[in-house]
Amino acid sequence: MIARLRSRPGAVALFGLAALTPLFVRDAYFLDSLVLILLWGALSAAWNVAGGYAGQVSIGHASFFGLGAYAAALMVTRFGRGPWLGMLVGVVLSLGAGFIIGFLSNRLRGPYFALSTIAFSQVLLIGVSRWRGFTAGGEGIPVPFRPGFTTLGLGHIAWVYMALAAALLCYAVEVYLERSRLGYRLAGVREDEDAAEALGIPTRRLKVLAIALSAALTSICGSLWAQYVGFVDPTYVFSVDLSVKFALNTIIGGMGTALGPYLGSILITSLETYLRATFSGVKTGFAGIYLIIYGTVLILVVRFVPDGLAGFASRLRARRAHA
Amino acid sequence: MSRVALGIIVATLAILLGGGPDAVRGQAPTGEYKIGVLEPLTGNLAFEGKRHMEGLEVVRDLINERGGVMGKKLVFAVADATDPTAAASEANRLITREGVKIITGTFSSRLCGAASEVAARHKVIYWESSCVDPRFNKRDLKYVYRTEIDATGFGWYNIEFIAKHLAPRFNLKPNQLKVAFLSEDSSYGQGVTESARQRAKTEFGMQEVMLEYYNWTTLNDMTPTILKMKQLNPDVVHHIGFGNDAVLFWRQSKEQNFLFKALVHAGATGYGGADFGKALGNDANGVFALLEPGPGFRLEALRPEGQQIEKAFRDAIQKRTGTYPFGAHQLAGAGLWLLKLVLDRAKTDDPEKFNAAVMSLDMPVGSMINGWGVKFSEVGQNANDRVQHYMLQWQNGQLVTVWPEEFTTLRAKWIPLGAWDQRK
Amino acid sequence: MDPARRLGPAQIDVLAQLAVATVLLGGIYALIAVGLTLIFGIMRVVNFAHGEFLMLGMYLAFWAFALYAVDPYVVVLISIPVFFVVGLVTYVLVMRGVIQASHNVQIFTTVGLSVVLQNVALVAWAGDFRFVRPWHLSTVIRAGSTTFNLSQVVAFLIAVGLTVALVAFMKWTHAGRVMRATAQDRDAATLMGIDTDRVYRLTFAIGIAAVGAAGVLVAPLYAIYPTAGLQFVLLAYVVVVLGGLGDMFGAMLGSFIVAAVEVAGSYLFGTAWKEIFYFILFILVLVFRPAGLFGQRGAETLGV
Repeated sequence: MIARLRSRPGAVALFGLAALTPLFVRDAYFLDSLVLILLWGALSAAWNVAGGYAGQVSIGHASFFGLGAYAAALMVTRFGRGPWLGMLVGVVLSLGAGFIIGFLSNRLRGPYFALSTIAFSQVLLIGVSRWRGFTAGGEGIPVPFRPGFTTLGLGHIAWVYMALAAALLCYAVEVYLERSRLGYRLAGVREDEDAAEALGIPTRRLKVLAIALSAALTSICGSLWAQYVGFVDPTYVFSVDLSVKFALNTIIGGMGTALGPYLGSILITSLETYLRATFSGVKTGFAGIYLIIYGTVLILVVRFVPDGLAGFASRLRARRAHA
Repeated sequence: MSRVALGIIVATLAILLGGGPDAVRGQAPTGEYKIGVLEPLTGNLAFEGKRHMEGLEVVRDLINERGGVMGKKLVFAVADATDPTAAASEANRLITREGVKIITGTFSSRLCGAASEVAARHKVIYWESSCVDPRFNKRDLKYVYRTEIDATGFGWYNIEFIAKHLAPRFNLKPNQLKVAFLSEDSSYGQGVTESARQRAKTEFGMQEVMLEYYNWTTLNDMTPTILKMKQLNPDVVHHIGFGNDAVLFWRQSKEQNFLFKALVHAGATGYGGADFGKALGNDANGVFALLEPGPGFRLEALRPEGQQIEKAFRDAIQKRTGTYPFGAHQLAGAGLWLLKLVLDRAKTDDPEKFNAAVMSLDMPVGSMINGWGVKFSEVGQNANDRVQHYMLQWQNGQLVTVWPEEFTTLRAKWIPLGAWDQRK
Repeated sequence: MDPARRLGPAQIDVLAQLAVATVLLGGIYALIAVGLTLIFGIMRVVNFAHGEFLMLGMYLAFWAFALYAVDPYVVVLISIPVFFVVGLVTYVLVMRGVIQASHNVQIFTTVGLSVVLQNVALVAWAGDFRFVRPWHLSTVIRAGSTTFNLSQVVAFLIAVGLTVALVAFMKWTHAGRVMRATAQDRDAATLMGIDTDRVYRLTFAIGIAAVGAAGVLVAPLYAIYPTAGLQFVLLAYVVVVLGGLGDMFGAMLGSFIVAAVEVAGSYLFGTAWKEIFYFILFILVLVFRPAGLFGQRGAETLGV
């Protein structure tokens, strides 16, 4: 186990730092930003399972996020039970949705698959918005804050550890995929699906499995988010913007690497928060400037560092090794 | 995983999160009092957020001309809340980094819900000026207040107007009226429409001939709906629109020669926004929208202190934007003025004393901006009957005040609407 | 009984009007989709920023009208060369670098572009809804009891004209043939001596010119605001997939199908459900006929 830890110094450092921070820092905003970094990181890692490891790039993962968020919120507000039960229900629903998307991935490739995942998330958005009797429709659901662990009513410090737990869970799944036979076969599917199939790998089943797994993890994080932010609104939780964010963090950090999503999340979430905080107060009407900067950074990073920060780091290391 | 990447992580985190965990800016230097302002300045709702800011800044200047709050100059720490996560995060920042004890805003229910939770957890006062979600005050959160009525209030006023002012002029009893409900499907539209439907049916027995919701951002054509409505033949169309959908409906109704006796809307968006008049000019004549006071409003109907501040407010907005105040200006501005009145009375931002001051305020209609009065319920909601609302009507390119009649010099025209080209 | 379902003379009128609504709405969608099918079809790039160029076209119409009182139908002539240049510049600055990269990189590049354009518009012109009100805005042509909005009719005619022009261009000009060849097999085309960079440059520029002109034409019909593009972009993708990649006539037909689904769905079930219908249609087509209703089977896997 120590050997394994030593082989991944980046992860130890990152998660270790995150775990130690609340002991030294009490500033609620800093901790809040840390929670968001970890949570978006976990979501991106969940996306990575399907997108990076299995090569199925979806821009509709908000479907699972929203299902998880609604399941938790509804379980608390409508049925008077706890959010953990809601999380479980969310996972079941997302597995179902994941199978549907998996089915689509077996029929469609590349941009077509991506577009179909968008369509799926929008169908869910509209459906939930219209089902006013059950989901409160467009009005959304305010999630009450009741202190305690079973109700996920936690303080800032506890939330850091909760988000860390989710991040570690997703990280563990990624690492498992890197080291296991399942992972190797998935890599085959990702690199060259036809060749893999020729070698006897059950590509169709594996793709569905990867997507379903990704969906379940995303859903869990969605349920946590609902309790953290406290308001579930269909136009946000099923939005294309969110789906893009999950993919984006991973791409910038390094698709198909276990730590990539978290690196990407650190960069993007920090950038977002920082820019918003700095430029909000600017003369009224210029608030959009921070988004222009954000979009430009996006274009530049995607263009010049396409294998992400993790890839960049590996290349640097390789270059140094040969120097 | 190289150490270089490690360095990148740590450095980025450190720099981008504000130069260290203790970079708290805290309350401004002596002589200034800072409150947090949370508004959507980017995204779909940006245009409303901007108007809110204008209203807030104008009233802030009026307040500072009159001595500020608690003897200090009022200043803002502004935060952009594009979505619920941002709203919660920025609320956090305002509280922790800017050290504010009061946050005001926020326009949209999806934003105020998340932000107020954060405020309540930190024992910071949340002073909401315009989100209309009926559940806002029902969450057992302390120190959360709303100066504007909620969606049920809007629905209440609309039906009041239809039943008591319009029905008699159509020579119909309220329970003989056929009403078609059409609405955009966000929390705003749903809130107002549902409360209107409720009151229409249970209190007046009006006949509901249609109920339809749609998403205003993807709506491209209202012809199918209009064709359906033509056959259902409603007397009154209760339509809550957000932006382009209002223009689309009205323009296409004219094209299809869809005739009905009245259209009633509520709120500062859609039919109640400046853009509607700009888009349609005199073609907009006849539409009713429930709003804050517009031209025609009789200052004399207000109490003396109300007259003073209302006049000052109107002049200041006119000077800044060149127009009579619009709904968003009025809600934000009135909310801030009311906050000043509370702080004047409490002389502190200590939550308990603040709360006591809020509850002790009791002013009749006509006391302040918009002709509002004040009386907060125990859960922090300003009462329906004090937050006087007015029915405005588009007349020749302007939204003018027509009801209640004691507040205005102008009267409603074109009741019933009659043919499309007859409304001059 | 719901009056909408009985059939009588009044209902025939309604059907006629619905048919007209479908055709005219379809014309607008076709205008927007034609440029997209070209870009998606030839370059295989999912351009998320397509709606933003539409929005820029709408703003062009607005400012020309507000500042110089120029009618949109005149502006449209200027918009074609203007947006052609805009397309060239965008290609050179943004797209060229990612043409050879993976799909994900391309997608996210255009996502970034979309965010930048939306917010440039927001900062420059504020988020207020703007409207263009030329004298002919409310002009209607009446045939019996059916009304045709003049602006929509013009948009429809131009959409047809544009599609025909582009089809002719693709079929009968050298440049068009070269573009089609590149779409079929990029490597073979290079081996044949085709400068693929030039082909893509031209394709992108034409595609953006088309959508910019579309923006000008639809400006009188809808509100103009920075996120207006979102209203149409997903829909445009549905149309493009339905019609088959790169197939202009397919895009036209796809537009009418989507418009029909919307109009019929709105009328029968309420406007709330219309998007669900065409998204489900979209998913069904993707599952059963991914090459589109009119495309060649298997064509969707080319270059992907």
